[in-house]
Amino acid sequence: MKTSVSFAIAVVLAGLSAPAAFAQQQTVTVMGYSGLFQERYAKAVVEPFMKANPGIKVEYFPMPNSAQMLGNLRAQKAAPQADVVIMDVSVSKAATDEKLLTKIDEKNVPNVADLYPNARIPDVDGVGVTFDNLVMLYNGEAVKDAPKSWMDLAKPEFKGKVAIPGMPDIQGLSLVLIMDKARGGTDYLKSVEKGIAALGEIAPNVQTWEPKPEVYPVIISGQAVIGAGWNARAQVNADASGGKLKAVLPEEGSVFQINTISLVANGPGKDAGAKFANYALSAEAQKAFTESMFYAPTNAKAQISDAAIARTAVKSMNKVIPVDWIALAKVRDPIMEQWRRKVIPLSR
Amino acid sequence: MSAGAAIALPAPAPRERGRGVAPIVALLAPIALINAVGFLAPVLNLARMSFYEVEPTGAMREVYTLATWAKVFSDGYYAGLIFDSITVSLGITLLTLLCSYPIALYLHRSSGTWRTILLVLVISPLLTSAVVRTYGWIAILAENGLVNNALATLGLAKLKLMFNATGVTIGLTEILMPYMILALLAGFGRLDPRVEEAAATLGAPPFTIFRRIILPLTLPGIALGCLLCFVLAVSSFITPKLLGGGRVFLLATEIYDEAIVTLNWPLAATLSILVLIIFGGALMLYSRALRAIL
Repeated sequence: MKTSVSFAIAVVLAGLSAPAAFAQQQTVTVMGYSGLFQERYAKAVVEPFMKANPGIKVEYFPMPNSAQMLGNLRAQKAAPQADVVIMDVSVSKAATDEKLLTKIDEKNVPNVADLYPNARIPDVDGVGVTFDNLVMLYNGEAVKDAPKSWMDLAKPEFKGKVAIPGMPDIQGLSLVLIMDKARGGTDYLKSVEKGIAALGEIAPNVQTWEPKPEVYPVIISGQAVIGAGWNARAQVNADASGGKLKAVLPEEGSVFQINTISLVANGPGKDAGAKFANYALSAEAQKAFTESMFYAPTNAKAQISDAAIARTAVKSMNKVIPVDWIALAKVRDPIMEQWRRKVIPLSR
Repeated sequence: MSAGAAIALPAPAPRERGRGVAPIVALLAPIALINAVGFLAPVLNLARMSFYEVEPTGAMREVYTLATWAKVFSDGYYAGLIFDSITVSLGITLLTLLCSYPIALYLHRSSGTWRTILLVLVISPLLTSAVVRTYGWIAILAENGLVNNALATLGLAKLKLMFNATGVTIGLTEILMPYMILALLAGFGRLDPRVEEAAATLGAPPFTIFRRIILPLTLPGIALGCLLCFVLAVSSFITPKLLGGGRVFLLATEIYDEAIVTLNWPLAATLSILVLIIFGGALMLYSRALRAIL
């Protein structure tokens, strides 16, 4: 019965015409980021999983961002089409609160036991599958002296040459948190005034708060020469640009962005979904994906090559400022208001 | 089609009672159905969502509240957003009209192969997506782009042409011009060259002919083009996102941010309904203007 149901869904979903092959097969639908993430994840995690589990076929359903994944989960609440979803932790929290997910723990996904403590987020049904961190980016050809501090973004020589994805994007928000801490702020849930003031000093230099399509090509092309972005994509883009793009972890530190892996409540291929999630959290898969895309692993037992680990924040954990993204959501609106009133006007 | 024919169009023959109603219903049913399913239902759903309760994390509860609407009406930021969206869009509409009118007039007067070639030129930008055309504008308006390099060569100071409201205005004006030109052409039906000739024969100088003959006769086209471009300008978000540099806050970009980044869907829904209300206002003004003109 179960096989025939998933068979029917697989046929309807993909419109495939090879029924014989599917008759004995289970299908897991994984919803995740499109583009670079999908490309690397398919090679590093999905393909090895399918090789190890010939009876399970993984369909990767790409979405450009977490919000659209949540939108899909909401729309399909009555009849979910996906089994596993990889999304940002704050969106995962919203999905948890709307009862769209099934709780992941050691019982259904044994590898959860090997995760770092900060990959297990209270009151979120998913668990951390990748860690990323904010880095300072610069164009190695245009900027000769490697910048060391986030406040180098405010240097006069970079006037009109700075690209930062501003708030409401969490990259802009992260920068506020980092600078608030650096300037003596103690509790970002109460006040980020110092961080906002620091961003106000950087603001006159900013060329764009909306680097499009992403901040990396904007800096590689030289349209801007310095800015902020996520480490994993920066590392891949650095390689692709032949070293033109450079990424540094500034002295003030950085914050982690967490992607969670979650099981969709009542997903069509339930057991197989948990099996995939378990593999995605295994030391083996975590190692493969970190070495492919330089997200820091969430599995403490992953034995990652020195070359790859040096390009993540793992060796500089003392520089990573802990952020409770779930608690932060409650004060995001007032921070956004300060951003609008005290940062943006200074960049006009 | 000559303009004279449009004016002298015979009145439709009075329909016999009882007959003809069924075919009209049958012909209207498909589009009514498509509109009900594809437009009306989603809009009603959006209206309902604007009353949902939302938590800071973005989680929505199907509990009805006026909180989002109250926030939109009490927070001056949103009033500013509405004001800016309307004024920027009106400015873009006016600029589009000024740039498109001479082109449309020339097109209206041209004929034969030349007219076909010109029409293809006008329509061809529509074959490229607005995203691609906006990136084209980035290449032209950037600090080291076409315009600024030309200015630098001439020894003039460089201008800040994008990542601000100027960039958004320039980009959207060009992107909306084909729509304006086509709308103007569609509304130029009453413009008859013989009327202009008559005025000239009676000694009217060119400007008077334009002011007293051409302009009044083309007003329906102007009204239609302005309505279309205003609506498109208010609802466009790709060009403001790409050329605004995060400094230009408009309703459409705010809706995108609330829906995709902040995850406040009820707020995004509320602002969307507000946009719809603005469109309703524009439509009302249009029909009023049309009645005054005709």
